[in-house]
Amino acid sequence: MTTSSTQTRKALSKIAQLRLQKELEEWHDPPVGFKHKVSDNLQRWTIEVSGAPGTLYANETYQLQVDFPEHYPMEAPQVIFVPPAPAHPHIYSNGHICLDILYDSWSPAMTVSSICISILSMLSSSTSKQRPPDNDLYVNKCRNGRSPKETRWWFHDDKV
Amino acid sequence: MAEEDEILMEVEAVEAVYGDDCIVLNRFPPHLHLHLKPRTADVDSQQFVEATIELRAGPQYPSDPPYVGIIGSKGLDEERQMHLSNSLHDKAQELTSCLMLVALCEDAVEILTSMNHPEGDCPLCLYPLVPEDSHSEVQPFMKLMSCFHCFHCECIVRWLTWIQKQNEASSGTSNTLSSDVDEENVLASGKLYLRKIMGSTAGNCPVCRKVFLAKDIEHVLNLVGSHNADSDVYEKELVEKVLQCDLETTRRQEFEAILKLQQQCGGLIEPPKNNVLYSRISVQDLVREANEMMNVEASEQQHTNQIVREEPESSSSSNQASRRACDARTRHRRGHTGIAEPASGVPPTGSTSGHRRHSGTRKHGKNQSRWQAKPCPKE
Repeated sequence: MTTSSTQTRKALSKIAQLRLQKELEEWHDPPVGFKHKVSDNLQRWTIEVSGAPGTLYANETYQLQVDFPEHYPMEAPQVIFVPPAPAHPHIYSNGHICLDILYDSWSPAMTVSSICISILSMLSSSTSKQRPPDNDLYVNKCRNGRSPKETRWWFHDDKV
Repeated sequence: MAEEDEILMEVEAVEAVYGDDCIVLNRFPPHLHLHLKPRTADVDSQQFVEATIELRAGPQYPSDPPYVGIIGSKGLDEERQMHLSNSLHDKAQELTSCLMLVALCEDAVEILTSMNHPEGDCPLCLYPLVPEDSHSEVQPFMKLMSCFHCFHCECIVRWLTWIQKQNEASSGTSNTLSSDVDEENVLASGKLYLRKIMGSTAGNCPVCRKVFLAKDIEHVLNLVGSHNADSDVYEKELVEKVLQCDLETTRRQEFEAILKLQQQCGGLIEPPKNNVLYSRISVQDLVREANEMMNVEASEQQHTNQIVREEPESSSSSNQASRRACDARTRHRRGHTGIAEPASGVPPTGSTSGHRRHSGTRKHGKNQSRWQAKPCPKE
């Protein structure tokens, strides 16, 4: 489902490789609540997220899948939850995340760590375990394995 | 009270030294805010740190040293702020019972100068801006003028190029998106891009998103690999270099001597008619130009040649005329040495004007003979 874009994806540029190696080094000491699942694939990372204590997602773990484009960090990585995705007003059941920094507001100064922290903060501030109102419609549209990066996101609010 | 007068004078001295960077909150006992920068000959693109310090003296000053605090800083992490603050505190103790305000400020400037480099990693490639070990090669780095965030020049230029490609792709002027970012050409095209958008909004700082203008990053152009820099920049640097070299200085002095001679003789000394060295500007042209200058002094304003303007010592029209004629030759001579001058012409900078001020040689006879013999020496 989410792998269709991977096959056609271009290999990492030299600069992207250097940068990712550096980031991976720093993940030996990962941000609190995260664990990088070791693999030999530099271009696709799988990261385990633990819901922060005292929030709706406490004691729950989810998998984030991070795919890096050829020109990372100029281009944002593709970040999705591997289903089952946490129920959240900005997270679709197919794992796509409506978070501006992953799309329009991406900056090359951001890192996998900073993305992870943003996602965890988004989870932590949620007050209800609900899917977005347009969940079914959107998930239906993405059935062909479309990447969330091709979605024209409409960032509703920053409440949760 | 004599002591109070002295302290008031000291505050005046601080004001005189730091000008607008000094805010006097109270004259007695002195309470000052000082905006201090490292010594970089006023090249602010090379200032990677700065600090605003507070000096607050009590009524017992100078027997009691003043309170010294940092109320703001840019580019300094906590550790370096501490270092600055502690050093100033120690200095104040050391100078107890002396009038120390100026000394403290100077000390702060020294410390800032000694740590005038960015700390940490480039936010784009995550490698250190200044290598920790002295063996590694230092990559050129720059700061955004508005927010003091620092990057490797290459990294920021690569990013700007990327944005440009994105914009072009979205506006449909180019079909070459991500796949065609040629690593080799990234720098060159980044510079072209900068030139294109000069003056308009360039982008947001990748770290703090503060908007910066193209002119805020213009200084990168001089830092990024000057060997393949655009001809304009390269030529500018070259001309600068040549204008300040010893040979050029000597030459200017020679001309100054000749000029003086001409003035003392009450006008232009005409060079021999059979002078063949002026291939472009003939002697007649020079004389005609001189005459025109006498008639239309107002046209002086329109001439962009700064050499004339930099010497306000005399306003007599004949002097100006002779100077203009001399100028024309100076320019012409420069041509002989094959210095590439950009189309716009680069006027001598302030620093070169110092060389032009005549500094001694008034051996008229010698100069005159030299003038006659070799009006345009070829080096």
